[in-house]
Amino acid sequence: MVAGWFIILIAAGYIGLLFAIAYYGDKRADQGRSLINSSAVYALSIAVYCTSWTFYGSVGRASQSGIAFLPIYLGPTLVFCLGWLLLRKILRVSKANRITTIADFIGSRYGKNAALAGLVAIIAVIGVVPYIALQLKAVSTSFTVLLHYPAVGGIADAGPDSYFHDTAFWAALCLAAFAILFGTRTIEASEHHQGLVAAIAFESMVKLIAFLAAGIFVVVVLFDGFGDLFQRAAADPAITRLLRFEATGGGFSWITLTLLAMAAIICLPRQFQVIVVENVNERHLDRALWAFPLYLFLINIFVLPIALAGRLTAPAGVDPDTIVLTLPMAAQQYSLALFVFVGGFSAGTGMVIVETVALSTMVSNDLVMPLLLRWRRLGLADWPELAPFLLKVRRMAIPFLLLLGYLYMRLVGESYALVAIGLVSFAAVAQFFPAILLGLFWRRASTAAAFVAIGGGFLLWTYTLLLPSLAGSGWLPIAFIEEGPYGIALLKPYALFGLTGLDPITHSLFWTMLINIGALVGISLLTEQSALERAQAALFVDALEQAEAGRLWRGTAKLSDLTDLVARFLGRGRADEAFRDYAGRRGVDVAELAVDGELVRHAERLLAGAIGTASARVMIASVAEEEPLGIDEVMRILDETSQVIEYSRRLEDKSRELETATGELRAANDRLKQLDRLKDDFVSTVSHELRTPLTSIRSFSEILHNNPDLDPDKRREFLAIVVKESERLTRLINQMLDLSKIESGKPDWAVSDVDLAEVARDAAAATSQLFEDKSARLDLRLPESAPPVAADRDRLMQVTVNLLSNAVKFCPRVDGRVALTVVSDPTDVTLTVADNGPGIAPEHHQTVFEPFHQVGDTLTAKPQGTGLGLAICRMIVDHHGGRIWVESEAGKGAVFRVRLSRKVALARAV
Amino acid sequence: MPDEVRRRDRLIGLFLLALVLLNPPLLMLFGGGDTVFGLPLLYLYIFVAWLLIIGAVAWIAERRAARRRRDADG
Repeated sequence: MVAGWFIILIAAGYIGLLFAIAYYGDKRADQGRSLINSSAVYALSIAVYCTSWTFYGSVGRASQSGIAFLPIYLGPTLVFCLGWLLLRKILRVSKANRITTIADFIGSRYGKNAALAGLVAIIAVIGVVPYIALQLKAVSTSFTVLLHYPAVGGIADAGPDSYFHDTAFWAALCLAAFAILFGTRTIEASEHHQGLVAAIAFESMVKLIAFLAAGIFVVVVLFDGFGDLFQRAAADPAITRLLRFEATGGGFSWITLTLLAMAAIICLPRQFQVIVVENVNERHLDRALWAFPLYLFLINIFVLPIALAGRLTAPAGVDPDTIVLTLPMAAQQYSLALFVFVGGFSAGTGMVIVETVALSTMVSNDLVMPLLLRWRRLGLADWPELAPFLLKVRRMAIPFLLLLGYLYMRLVGESYALVAIGLVSFAAVAQFFPAILLGLFWRRASTAAAFVAIGGGFLLWTYTLLLPSLAGSGWLPIAFIEEGPYGIALLKPYALFGLTGLDPITHSLFWTMLINIGALVGISLLTEQSALERAQAALFVDALEQAEAGRLWRGTAKLSDLTDLVARFLGRGRADEAFRDYAGRRGVDVAELAVDGELVRHAERLLAGAIGTASARVMIASVAEEEPLGIDEVMRILDETSQVIEYSRRLEDKSRELETATGELRAANDRLKQLDRLKDDFVSTVSHELRTPLTSIRSFSEILHNNPDLDPDKRREFLAIVVKESERLTRLINQMLDLSKIESGKPDWAVSDVDLAEVARDAAAATSQLFEDKSARLDLRLPESAPPVAADRDRLMQVTVNLLSNAVKFCPRVDGRVALTVVSDPTDVTLTVADNGPGIAPEHHQTVFEPFHQVGDTLTAKPQGTGLGLAICRMIVDHHGGRIWVESEAGKGAVFRVRLSRKVALARAV
Repeated sequence: MPDEVRRRDRLIGLFLLALVLLNPPLLMLFGGGDTVFGLPLLYLYIFVAWLLIIGAVAWIAERRAARRRRDADG
């Protein structure tokens, strides 16, 4: 027998240490040197997840069903894999909107709905009370076990009979004091409770070290390492069974537990408190993503070995939930047993403290406050200072919650194992999970749907888990479970509608999630959202994409009303400070602040931090006359916006068109200028070309006229020159007429089927005299007949003659050779004239086809033609839809080719 | 930004992998009661898989943190 006072002294000393740490943490925070501004402390504070359930219950469960305790810790690991997506988003949203509890979160997401937030708060309280009871029970049991040292077995039921001897009661009182002192310091629930978090992180260290110490002691001291332990376990078939997967109760149970734990790590009020509200810096999440799962890993490594050791060595009658404690006791290790007791005590107290603080915020902000606001007309609105009142509500809520937990433990908890109680709580808060998850990623999830989903899920949870647990403890007839209410077998709570073969938790989770998710998705799809719902949904869904969505706000408010309102809830000093900060950020004086949507939103957010978003909205509405932003108005705004967008798009189109038109105009202008220049060139060239023959005709005529006694031979020679020059003049004028006729597009075409080979032969015959004069040779490479082209025969003749006479003109005087070829392919007929003259340099290949262009310097060399022949050729060929071009290099002769399409040649020409 | 997207996708992939590794039917495969070096295979498997997943999360998360620190310095 160990003196009870000694154990109580240890426990009291431990709580005293917690007070000291919390006090120190708060003091440091007041000095601006935060203790908790570190990712390690953040990760440790999240480990408040590990409670007495973990410390005592896991071993108890492992000793019965092997590794079935593990999904509770694997689930959070899975969620933390997604933490960067999921938790970061929750963090962002909550910080931006000063959300302080899970009820506030859901209420705010679904249109700042106070009723929904209230429902969530009620469920959280009802759901979590058993969980608090679990901690008290563990504290009380462990105390009793330790009290009977060194007796180990058969004392589990020897509970104390009087409240005054009940450690759980006194522990609850101490914890209430702690939670009130360090959890409700200021009215702003969004503020960090630095001392509290420091104490929680310390507790997480203590419980981890204590459990590891127990584990190492069992494995190394009681046994000879893991190998020895497992070998001895293998000798007993009943224990070997625990090492198989079947022992866990099957795949369904495993998956159910994993899902429950995934939901719990987000939905449990205390987890939301430490992960979101007490988060000092978003970057701490990075390290916590792996540090917290690592913590879970470490605290679980020895669970199975300790459980096996308990099965191997502990005497019969020991409560499996106390194995961790009884093993060191059985080995006469009293100080270790005390240390383990302190570890378990820390696991329980940490949970209770944070949970009650979180729940008290929920009760005051989401239950009491909205109700009082309803009664506002009865006088609350006239209270000058509401902050002290709200704090009182919170401080009263904490002992009230602990009392509820204590009563539940006394009335129900005694007959259940730790894990069974905890799982009932998990299943309750899991009802929030679909609404949170879909709310974060699915815009359309609506308020009505969330209401039905959470409410329906909760009712089914009550029926399939809570009521049976009462029945199991004798508060309802046991027939309720075994035969169903009023003997209706279909309504048996553990086999609803005849669904059997699942364990109660899996069974309940299936039915509750069926109605929960079904209602959430179904009703969301069927209902329309209000403007406010839409705005809030967008705020949550787009939290990571945009810094802050400016909500539409139209209305009027007075600055003094706003400041007075905030002051009533936050106190005058804090309110003035908040508004001064706000004005300072905008670089103006408080008195000069413009009352716009931004300021009203700021005031609302300040209030939300103290009294929750739904209540804050109601309060703001009381001083700011907000014009209800109906759907019509939103549609009108949207209409206006879309019209403006439409106009601006049209303007863009117009300006683009203008640009294009300008570009076209500029191009046309350039072209006109070029044409003008060409015309000038043309006129000057033509006058030059006309003057040359005229000058020679006139001068020779003058000679003949002034010298009548000229030698007859000379006279004939001069006359011949005059005739020749006149002919040249005539030809020039004819060609110019031709050119302008073709250019104006009105030549008289006589279109028929033309055989190019025949044309080539005729042209060769017509120019044979030229070749003889120049003693040049003409090679004809012509087929008998070429495929017909539709064309004007005389014009093609003109082209061919032109090309031939050009060719012969440029032939060398000695050994001049010209080749005339006609070839055809499936689509075209090509006529080629090749000479062995000086050739044409590539840069002139285009220009030779321009009027009056002559290769070579016309000023020094005598022109050898009119300079219009090739221009006319090109026009004729163009009008036939064909193509004419030259291939040549200087010094290597020139090859002119004319290509005409077969058959369709004229279709394009006319 | 593409960096952020890649990291997000990696974490989602890791989540899916963890989902498969830490649930039946893989657990049934390892949970047949076999032993390795005297240790139960199921116990060994689940803790090793768990540790690997934690390590992978740490690798991805810390690399991001390190890069952000570097960006902040630079």
